[in-house]
Amino acid sequence: MTNSPEQSATPASMELTFEVEQFLYKEARLLDTEEFHEWLTILTDDIHYWMPYRYQRYRKNHVEPTVNDTSYFNDDMHNLKRRVLRNDTGTCWSEDPATRTSHVISNIEVEHTDNPDEYKVYSLTTVNRNMNEDEEHLMVGHRTDILRRVNGQLKLAKRKIILDQNIFMNKSLNVFL
Amino acid sequence: MSNNTDYHQFIDNEEGWVDRRIFWEEEIYEQELKQIFAKSWQFIAHDSMIPNANDFYTTYMGEDGVIGARQKDGSVRVFLNSCPHRGNKFCFADEGNTRSFICNYHGWSFGIDGKLGALANEHVYDEGDIDKEKWSPKQARVETYKGLIFATFDQEAPSLDEWLGDFRWYLDMMFDNDGETEFIDGGIKSYVNANWKFGVENFIGDAYHALWNHDSGLKAMNNGEGFGPAVTENSYHASVNGHGWEFGTDGYADVVIGGSEKWLNYVRDIIKPKIKDKYGELRSNIFGSLASVSLFPNISFLPGIQTFRVWLPRGPKKLELRIFTIVNKNMPEEIKQEINNACMMTFNPAGVLEMDDGENWEGNTQVNKGFLTRQEKLHYGCGITREIEHEELPGIIYKGQFNDANQRHFYTRWADLMNADSWDDVPTRYKPRHTKTTK
Repeated sequence: MTNSPEQSATPASMELTFEVEQFLYKEARLLDTEEFHEWLTILTDDIHYWMPYRYQRYRKNHVEPTVNDTSYFNDDMHNLKRRVLRNDTGTCWSEDPATRTSHVISNIEVEHTDNPDEYKVYSLTTVNRNMNEDEEHLMVGHRTDILRRVNGQLKLAKRKIILDQNIFMNKSLNVFL
Repeated sequence: MSNNTDYHQFIDNEEGWVDRRIFWEEEIYEQELKQIFAKSWQFIAHDSMIPNANDFYTTYMGEDGVIGARQKDGSVRVFLNSCPHRGNKFCFADEGNTRSFICNYHGWSFGIDGKLGALANEHVYDEGDIDKEKWSPKQARVETYKGLIFATFDQEAPSLDEWLGDFRWYLDMMFDNDGETEFIDGGIKSYVNANWKFGVENFIGDAYHALWNHDSGLKAMNNGEGFGPAVTENSYHASVNGHGWEFGTDGYADVVIGGSEKWLNYVRDIIKPKIKDKYGELRSNIFGSLASVSLFPNISFLPGIQTFRVWLPRGPKKLELRIFTIVNKNMPEEIKQEINNACMMTFNPAGVLEMDDGENWEGNTQVNKGFLTRQEKLHYGCGITREIEHEELPGIIYKGQFNDANQRHFYTRWADLMNADSWDDVPTRYKPRHTKTTK
């Protein structure tokens, strides 16, 4: 057997896994209740929040997306604060009445990394978005996160989201995944 | 609507209105596919998207799926993505590199030149059953303008140069301000449940909406600062053959929307002097100002913000938006990425400006399910008496960028083409200064 990184990753204890799950559920609640300023406080200052776009290609032409390509999100804290600021201006007409969202977080796996303070976390985010009279949109994203323990508290330091869509199926991506 | 319908009945440039039914009725949409999309020069790809032999990119002309493919000799061919045997698409990838396409259904293969090649189990055919040259997918005419690849299926259409006409006077400052351009790798495709014309007409001349609709987006990008008061002096609408550029001459308002000081400095120190040398002071003041542009029928871009997009029709009530980011090839990588970030933050499905636009255009479109609602007219009368002659600016010029002039001329061109039995019926409605016309 080869010693691939997948196999060498040390699985997390039940206690750590539970802690991570609770962190992700809390994050989902903050997003669903539009507590975006509180959400920003559970991110590290050097957060990288990345959702690449991938053209559909034949398997023989496969390429991995890079941060230098066009992305939905390729944000540092400055960019994320700008997005939150938009909602605070009082003139964000398309968010009034408010969008309704439910983040369902599942398929959580936690792994230790070389850094004892950082954990690699896989999860699935299933977001139901309902807005205006009857517009409903389902988005499913595969997330790979790095959570870092800062002063005893978990924070999100990195997130990569791969969406299960080619053409983005709706007019706007007005939710964090 | 029969072919005898006079489509000018749906617009009135004297009273300044447009009939809402053109954003809703299936019959009008079918006529658009035939009269607009089967005839017009349409954007296929930027040269930089398919730089190497055997590179391809798939898109649509109207609702006709096409493949744009780079040939071994460097030229580009554009052909229908539909197997002439039973009709299936024979390429299901958005882009890639291949020597041939093979239809999944029976295994007919097509070269990168679009010509029918070997058939799987070809021995089931007798000699003489099929003439492969004749049974190859339909090919379009292809021409390029400064890196932009265009195609039309109409053999009778005027040349691309004539189609663009004096609009090239404006386009040069975007696509040739400091050498060749390129697109940032990738792009995003998204659906909006809106008529395709609402996207085009927003970019062709609607500076007006920005002040109100995009207040929150601009504040997000510009440290909480919104737009200044609407300036109606020294700003214009320019229309040529249905293409339109609305612009100020302040020099920087669109660049500011991108929220990048490094890009702002680059525009001031590198791009502006180059434009001034090459094209004169007026155009160096125009580039980067509050501005937006559409090319007839369905291409738009923002000089200074650098988003480039195509509005593909998906029925009268839905469009597919394809967005790209345009940069100069010779820019430092850091500047390219500043622009990439700015476009992502602003004009992208998650962009702080774009999110508000889609919402409007869906509303504009979907209300027309109401029978009575769609019998009502829409007002397009802003600035209707402000037409001027300008010594430098070519095209049909209106004073004040807060105006519906470019929209009115877009719909005039739309009606001209919708009515036309041949290109001889399509009038040139501006006085060309820089373009020779065949008529």
